[in-house]
Amino acid sequence: MDTGKRIVPPRLGVPDEALALYVHIPFCETKCPYCDFNTYAQIEGLIPDYVAALQHEIERWGALLSKPQTNTIFFGGGTPSYLPVHDLGHVMSTIREAFAVDSAAEISLEANPGDVDPERAALLRAVGFNRVSVGVQSFDDGLLKMLGRRHDAKTAMGAIRNFRDGGFDSINLDLMFGLPDQSLEQWANSLNMALELDTEHISLYGLTIEPNTPLEVIVEKGDLPEPDADLAADMYLLACEQLEAVGYLHYEISNWCKPDKFARHNLVYWRSGEYLGVGPGAHSYVGGRRFETIRSPRQYVEALRSASDLPTESDALAAMKQIGIIASGGPDSDRQQAADFLMMGLRLSEGISSAEIETKFGVDFPTQYQDEIKRLHASGLLDFAEDRYWIPHDQWLVGNEVFSQFVELDTTSGG
Amino acid sequence: MDSSLIRNFCIIAHIDHGKSTLADRLMQATGTVSDRDQKEQLLDSMDLERERGITIKAQAVRLAYTASDGVEYQFNLIDTPGHVDFSYEVSRSLAACEGALLVVDAAQGIQAQTLANVYLALEHDLAIIPIVNKIDLPSAEPDRVAAEMSRTFGFNDSEILRVSAKTGKGVDEVLEAIAFLMEAPRGTADAPLRALIFDSKYDVYKGVIAYVRVSDGAVQRHDKIRMMSSGRTAEILETGYFSPEPLGGMALGSGEVGYLATGFKDVRDCRVGDTVTLDASPAAEPLAAYEPILPMVYTGFFPVEGDDYPELREALSKLQLNDAALVYEPETSGALGFGFRCGFLGLLHMDIVQERLEREYDLNLIATAPSVRYRVRMTNGSVVDVSNPSDLPDLAQVQAIEEPWVNLSLIAPERYIGAIMELVTGRRGTFERMEYLQGETTDSNGDSRVLLEYKVPLSEILIDFHDALKSATQGYASMDYSHDEYRAARLVKLDVLVNEVSVDALSLIVHFDHAYPQGRLLVKKLKELIPRQMFPVPIQAAIGSKVISRETVKALRKNVLAKCYGGDVTRKRKLLAKQAKGKKRMKMVGSVEVPQEAFMAVLSLDR
Repeated sequence: MDTGKRIVPPRLGVPDEALALYVHIPFCETKCPYCDFNTYAQIEGLIPDYVAALQHEIERWGALLSKPQTNTIFFGGGTPSYLPVHDLGHVMSTIREAFAVDSAAEISLEANPGDVDPERAALLRAVGFNRVSVGVQSFDDGLLKMLGRRHDAKTAMGAIRNFRDGGFDSINLDLMFGLPDQSLEQWANSLNMALELDTEHISLYGLTIEPNTPLEVIVEKGDLPEPDADLAADMYLLACEQLEAVGYLHYEISNWCKPDKFARHNLVYWRSGEYLGVGPGAHSYVGGRRFETIRSPRQYVEALRSASDLPTESDALAAMKQIGIIASGGPDSDRQQAADFLMMGLRLSEGISSAEIETKFGVDFPTQYQDEIKRLHASGLLDFAEDRYWIPHDQWLVGNEVFSQFVELDTTSGG
Repeated sequence: MDSSLIRNFCIIAHIDHGKSTLADRLMQATGTVSDRDQKEQLLDSMDLERERGITIKAQAVRLAYTASDGVEYQFNLIDTPGHVDFSYEVSRSLAACEGALLVVDAAQGIQAQTLANVYLALEHDLAIIPIVNKIDLPSAEPDRVAAEMSRTFGFNDSEILRVSAKTGKGVDEVLEAIAFLMEAPRGTADAPLRALIFDSKYDVYKGVIAYVRVSDGAVQRHDKIRMMSSGRTAEILETGYFSPEPLGGMALGSGEVGYLATGFKDVRDCRVGDTVTLDASPAAEPLAAYEPILPMVYTGFFPVEGDDYPELREALSKLQLNDAALVYEPETSGALGFGFRCGFLGLLHMDIVQERLEREYDLNLIATAPSVRYRVRMTNGSVVDVSNPSDLPDLAQVQAIEEPWVNLSLIAPERYIGAIMELVTGRRGTFERMEYLQGETTDSNGDSRVLLEYKVPLSEILIDFHDALKSATQGYASMDYSHDEYRAARLVKLDVLVNEVSVDALSLIVHFDHAYPQGRLLVKKLKELIPRQMFPVPIQAAIGSKVISRETVKALRKNVLAKCYGGDVTRKRKLLAKQAKGKKRMKMVGSVEVPQEAFMAVLSLDR
């Protein structure tokens, strides 16, 4: 095998060893037709009880894990910005009591453009959020309407400015491409408007028509065309070119940032670091175990309300299972964990380290995956040098061809 | 048993006309099975048979019936396979009987299979008891159907029984008719043993179990028997009959039907159609001339995973234990590697074998397009049989290629004559004759039904003919065929190239006149079936070195999961596993991943 003279891609900052914390807010004013996340419209009445339950869960985890260190916190959803700011503030206070939150922690909030005026932006900053991720999705009003979004392009631009004025110096902007009926020209326009806003971070997501969503039905009925995969590829390549030209770093398949403005919380996922998800349907990876919280907000609230005061289990996960809020999960095999590590890590420009796989999971990557590596390298899908392996940028669009080589076929259940 | 009280009979019917339900009802009415044990279609023991509602293997069951004269009769009901693929087995079953119940659906009337079966029964000189079944159906027209039967077969209306096997109505009359209208078996009790094998199956403990009808003499445990055609001998481990569970320990005398546990390890030692005699005092002549069954349809079975080849060989040999009609030999394909060329009685037989291999032996198989057996006359005067298109000799040395033709009978309402004519002549068929089945009577549409007879090349009806016929006649037509002669035709080999490489497993032998349109359709279909790869893949159809059609599968440009939301890794993992599993089911042809369905593409061309 040729060892090549390729230059090892630079690392994306120092890996975070602390426990990342994800907080799920399962409320939306309306549900978008393409969305299959665990979120609900028309259950606002549950918000007060929900906030209490969430605080309760956070307190329990904090106690069970002996007030763990955390360097990144991410409020996702759903629409976290849909919650009253004082509720978000209460949850933040609980986190600060139950967890050892680093003074330089990245604390992110997902926001809907329609939910932000200058005053609210300042309040969010004041309760501790220092990064915001704005779900713009498109700057084309027609496409926004098709996506079921409640904002228009003007509101989106205003929202970014409001966050800026409110003191946020780390802003992400989400755009979607490969939409039904979206032209390359419409996409170029949206991109240009995004670039004008000069955010620190940009995420671009190709639309996936998820099973059991209203959009799937609409497309099946033929009321909207199925997106053209080739056109979506052209859109992606156009974005790569334009973002790079103005100095964005393309550090993950769907993510770009200004120098050093990586999404630190997401980097924990991609590098298979440890994270705890609280709230219904949240996912966790703690101590080599992946698990998911029950999906129903109502049952979640009930379970925490009726939870006894003292858990009898000393193991943290077992104790939470006793309460009845853990839906599934268990230990994965080393090879499964290694496969997940590859699937996530190869999304990054820095790729993965075989030495790290060996240390973490006892799996000898170059030997055990010899055939796959050889085959992928021969077709230009995988590069390596020293102990690092990565997918060349020009093959990111067919990343699944690489990931699927490493996936474990017989152990798809754990989790 | 006094052989004058024995009645050996079978039930003949078109598929779904209620043969198995009537059999169940007869068993129930004679107390052979209790009501409690009654499960639908008792005689169809294979799961596949129950699922598909067809009988694949013949079965025999003994019923004791006390008739209105107060005498107890011994009935032997021999269930016959209902499908044209198994007509050889049907004829062996008929040879073991003196009578037949002819069952016709009261709503559908006579169908092609009814006709074929009646002719077979007449050939075997059987007493036929005509039955109009399913008279409980709202759409039943018993009188019209009876009139159709009278006209077509010459029955008197009074002898046609009106029955509902489902509700039990008329079943007593059927039992009485069997006792009084059918003849007792003729045979000589003190002559040397002669017993006809009409089916066999393999049992792990007792070896091959032969289902027999004893004509002369008797047979019991410890007798040393001899197969008259193969000469193989064996000592009988057990004799008995089914009721419907096997009951051992009874000798079988003249006229009786039952089973022999032979201890043979291979069904081919004990073929359907052979005559059993005693080794010590053999009979002079067999009961019937033994004819080996010849496969009509051939296909290649290849394991998707090359490592599964030994398992495939093992599975085929096990299936063959119970299926003497299945033949196979090793085949090597440039595209698919090592596999087996298998011969079948027909497409249904092939389907069943493939399904059993996949279901019971957990094999992941690629089946290539089915082919008939061609007879190739070489310029040097020799003749070679070719059942695999890739074995076709160099045309320079070929004088003529001959293909098998069949006699095709179709029954359909008159209004579909035009559509059927068009369909069959498009398949190179030639019209032979036409006959109206009814005189004055018409069906509910005021339409008469007609019998149409054609001669047509077997290869033309092999693939999608039955579906095409159903759609051309809105499901009203039924078909049956029997083999005719070989005829020379202008046949060519159509090759397919995927990414510039000829794929032997996709080659077809087609008539020259059809080669161009067929090549075009095939290439188009393959373009739909072969997924996009990392590079563009040209697909071409060629005759010899001449490319007659071409399409290109565009290169894959985008295949990546967009988003990992909130650390949900398991979901991503599942999506990728699904993709990876899909890939695993594909076969690498050169550097191209080809899905299994592509090798059967020719089955789904819209012509």
